[in-house]
Amino acid sequence: MRLIEGPVSPSAISEIVVRGGTNTDTGAHSLFLGQVRKDQIEGKSVKAIEYSAYEEMVIMEANKIHKSVMSEFNDVKSIEILHSKGLVKAGEISLVVMVSSGHREQAVKACAKLVELIKEKLPIWKKEIFEDDSGMWKQE
Amino acid sequence: MEINVLFFGVLTEVTGTHRKHYRGIKSFSDLKYRIRDDFPDIENYNFRIAVNNRIVNEDPVLTDNDEVAYMPPFAGG
Repeated sequence: MRLIEGPVSPSAISEIVVRGGTNTDTGAHSLFLGQVRKDQIEGKSVKAIEYSAYEEMVIMEANKIHKSVMSEFNDVKSIEILHSKGLVKAGEISLVVMVSSGHREQAVKACAKLVELIKEKLPIWKKEIFEDDSGMWKQE
Repeated sequence: MEINVLFFGVLTEVTGTHRKHYRGIKSFSDLKYRIRDDFPDIENYNFRIAVNNRIVNEDPVLTDNDEVAYMPPFAGG
């Protein structure tokens, strides 16, 4: 798990995919990309999200999530997680999860489970920034 | 004892700070009262508390220089 300042760049995403290809035991990769959505709230549109994190605890909790998913899905070979901190504009990527496994079924299931656990367990917060530069903390 | 308190998310605006250092703390509940006295509006928000990166549900025993974090509901992803 890595926290990245600003959006996750296309080159960071392709690096993960290329690295996944070096493990020849793997037959499937499941890749999830989370993107900042230009929501409309009370007539104003979201232009960006400002992410903040309790970084030490994020890394600790991510390690726990990593271990629990690896032990639940025995065909999974590797897990990569990138999450943004700081400002990410609408249309940019703020979360990447890639799970590589021997066969497709566990890659897809483990990836979906990781995305849910990331939202539930990692101490990360987001403030939606509107076009007029006002902001609102998002409660999920 | 001395305790470092961190505030996150909306609570940084409620308290006007990300970090506050408390001295002469006797216990966890003493700390909670001190924080509530300093920032009464905090009671209007939902939050969980972590001590040294672990979420606590019951009042833990604090030791000198522990880090206590006030965390609103998580919203990653």
